Amino acid sequence: MSGLILRRLVQLPLVLLVIYSVTFALAWALPGSAVLQDEQRAPPPEVIAAMEARYDLDHPWAFYGGYLARLVTRGDFGPSLRYPDWSVGEIIAGALPVSMALGLAAVGIALVIGVGAGVVGAARPGGVLDVATLMLALLGISLPTFVAGAALLLLFPVALGLGSVGGWGGIGDLALPAFTLSLPFAAYIARLTRSGMIEAMRSDYVRTARAKGVSETGVLLRHALPNAFLPVLSYLGPAAAAAMTGSFVVERIFNVPGIGQHFVSAVLNKDLFLIMGVVLVYATILLVMNLMVDVLYRIVDPRIRAG
Amino acid sequence: MVRLGLPALVVALLVVVALRSDRALPPAELIYVDAAPAFTLDPQRIAYEQDIRLGNALYEGLVRWDPETFDVLPGVAERWEIEDGGLKYTFRLRENARWSNGDRVVAGDFLHSWRRGLLPDTAGDYAKILFAIRGAKAFFDWRVGALKEYGARPAGARNGDTALAMWEESVRRFDELVGVRAPDDRTLVLELDRPLPYMLDLLAFVPTFPAHPGTVDRWSRLDAKTGRMEQDHSWTKPPRLVSNGPYRLVSWRFKRDMRMERNPHYWNAGAVKAGSVEARVIEDPNTRVLAFRTGAVDWVTDVHAEYLPDLLAEAEGSERPTIRGFDRFGTYFWSFNCTPTLSGGRSNPFVDARVRRAFSMGLDRRAIVEDLRRVGEHVAETFVPRGSIRGYDEDGSVRGLPFDVIGARDELARAGWSVREPGGELRNDRGEPFPVVTLLASTGSYHVLIAQAMASMWEKALGVRTSIVVKETKTYRDDLKRRDYIVARGGWFGDYADPTSFLNVHASGDGNNDRGYSNPAFDELMARAAGERDPEQRLALLEEAEQLSLDEAPIIPIWVYRQFYQYDAERISGITSHPRMAQFLHLIEPHGGGR
Repeated sequence: MSGLILRRLVQLPLVLLVIYSVTFALAWALPGSAVLQDEQRAPPPEVIAAMEARYDLDHPWAFYGGYLARLVTRGDFGPSLRYPDWSVGEIIAGALPVSMALGLAAVGIALVIGVGAGVVGAARPGGVLDVATLMLALLGISLPTFVAGAALLLLFPVALGLGSVGGWGGIGDLALPAFTLSLPFAAYIARLTRSGMIEAMRSDYVRTARAKGVSETGVLLRHALPNAFLPVLSYLGPAAAAAMTGSFVVERIFNVPGIGQHFVSAVLNKDLFLIMGVVLVYATILLVMNLMVDVLYRIVDPRIRAG
Repeated sequence: MVRLGLPALVVALLVVVALRSDRALPPAELIYVDAAPAFTLDPQRIAYEQDIRLGNALYEGLVRWDPETFDVLPGVAERWEIEDGGLKYTFRLRENARWSNGDRVVAGDFLHSWRRGLLPDTAGDYAKILFAIRGAKAFFDWRVGALKEYGARPAGARNGDTALAMWEESVRRFDELVGVRAPDDRTLVLELDRPLPYMLDLLAFVPTFPAHPGTVDRWSRLDAKTGRMEQDHSWTKPPRLVSNGPYRLVSWRFKRDMRMERNPHYWNAGAVKAGSVEARVIEDPNTRVLAFRTGAVDWVTDVHAEYLPDLLAEAEGSERPTIRGFDRFGTYFWSFNCTPTLSGGRSNPFVDARVRRAFSMGLDRRAIVEDLRRVGEHVAETFVPRGSIRGYDEDGSVRGLPFDVIGARDELARAGWSVREPGGELRNDRGEPFPVVTLLASTGSYHVLIAQAMASMWEKALGVRTSIVVKETKTYRDDLKRRDYIVARGGWFGDYADPTSFLNVHASGDGNNDRGYSNPAFDELMARAAGERDPEQRLALLEEAEQLSLDEAPIIPIWVYRQFYQYDAERISGITSHPRMAQFLHLIEPHGGGR
């Protein structure tokens, strides 16, 4: 296992370099000026030229190399071109913990709801509960978060007076956005669990367990679920990475100061340093999450460990 | 399964730790919501409205505006004299003006800040405001040239010593060239090239407010490679920021919130109403309205939800309305490309003022404002919002073009374009059709809707073919600057109480003249106004200039911008309805209750 971790850690910088290069090429090709902002009074042309020179915006290769050098040697992501009082490092350091807390909570909720629904459904395939959970899962996958989020906002804080709108800071502020964010993940997990469970329930070891007189609950949870859980686990890596790096829509509706908004606004503003920063952070999290899932896989499934 | 318990526990702990590190502060006495985050708290770089509001709360200039009349009142300066027919200003600074760290505010602080504001290194959007001072433009240009020359030197001739030498030379040049002096700590003398009736107005504008020199210098360093004064803007963050206005900065979280508390050293601290203010950012228009509805915030500075007309109708019948609209010091318009050729080398019919006039007259702006917008904006008959500047066009004699389809067709006929058969197409004498009129709008707002209305009006009234192009704001702006458009949406807000704040954009070669409009007669009138010493005569010349530009129609003014606030007048008071809309946070009084 340590060989696997080592190999992946060596690959990591190479993969990141490729991602950096591709992102750079795409970001550089964005139309418009990186220093001149929308609706801004036009500063004298000398000032624009000086600013472009300062950030190497007039030399793609100087920018490409200079950014990489500063990042590697000093861990410096550079300044935000759009928000001159902030560095990209500060922006990410402020937003990432928020998104990670929200994302982890969402994945947690999704696991509880999804696995629960999957097991309940698989206990009696074709039954009322199974059909009901399947319908709910379908709803969870197809309902856009901006609809679900707005509905929850209108129902809880506005109509019932529970929780706040546009605030962030406590467990209470986490609940609604985390639940909204979890819905599509929960739906997908429910379907993965259900199909895995149904398959496992037909297998020989389950029949053996039943023959030994193990209770139906025991069969479901102790024997079938651990095997049915494996596909869920492999889905969890990318799901956690996606949830933890924020969601533009959920962040906007609930005014969560996370990192998801920057993926969109940085591109619209052609804020080159911020684009590179958030993409690299996202890529790193995704790669690390996938590695963690691979490690967990080996812990949970002895067959893989042996292989 | 049990083996997964440990990772799950770790995850739960992480969530709790992340949330704990992020606890909210106790609610401030006044909480208001902006639609966009502050860009900078460096007064010399401040340009956006939300930043200007914060700048007025954190800093104080020599003078400040009366919130109701926008007349100029004493600020850091307790009195001043204007001599030499308006060419020399002598300010007497008050003895008890203090920075938030207790330092005295002295005349040298203004000198330092204005020098900084005039450095191309600072790249302030409003550096031009300071060009009103004698020699300021010459200093700016000298420094631009010096930096260029420095950058061209061989690498060996650029080091810490040479950069320092150039910096010392710059300081010397500033003292020599620029008409600002501080004979003692409480006296500031300002000299102008020519009298400027709105000079005091400029000194009440945040970009001329002082930044704390000691703090700024600590975060500035000379770059040996370029010779530039590099400024690390970390100094604007708490607890480093030192301010001289009604408030001091307590916390600032990016795109999230900012908190200010009463500055105990402010000379007029007794006049500061709310002891603490929180500026929150909520970008989603719907969430802003809901936040107010749940009582979480006192004041929403920008209500622009799609259902705004319904909100306004609801407020109309309410005994305690919370939505209020105010006319602003700005105009929404559409621009004509006034240059002779379009992209691809096609000739541009809109270079002809008669054609522009015809399109302007073919537009029913009242219908756009009343039937389409439905939020109570006023049709803009002029570019400078009517009645917004004292002494300017008070009799309303400056007139825009009317809605007159017959007149529009006559104008087109005079320009050689006419419709020969009923329902036919607009053609010239050679039978060539009028080029397809492309309307360029940007995404994310109501512009597309307006473009559709304009296009259909023009098709019906003038017999032209139209198309609408919608582009991302950045690309739209790029097209505008390259004049790669035919008709495009635009807008402008005035900065100071003078018609030139608007009319300058029509001057030949002005950096904000996106239309490429150029008329020597207009430039001549503007130059004559600039040289005119009699204030009344000067305004008369500017009225003449505006009338000329309205007749020539480089733009079609459509409506006077209107701002929509949401607040409960029984919960807060002190919000001014003046079109300048620079709200002064320290004068807004929370009455409690509701939250």
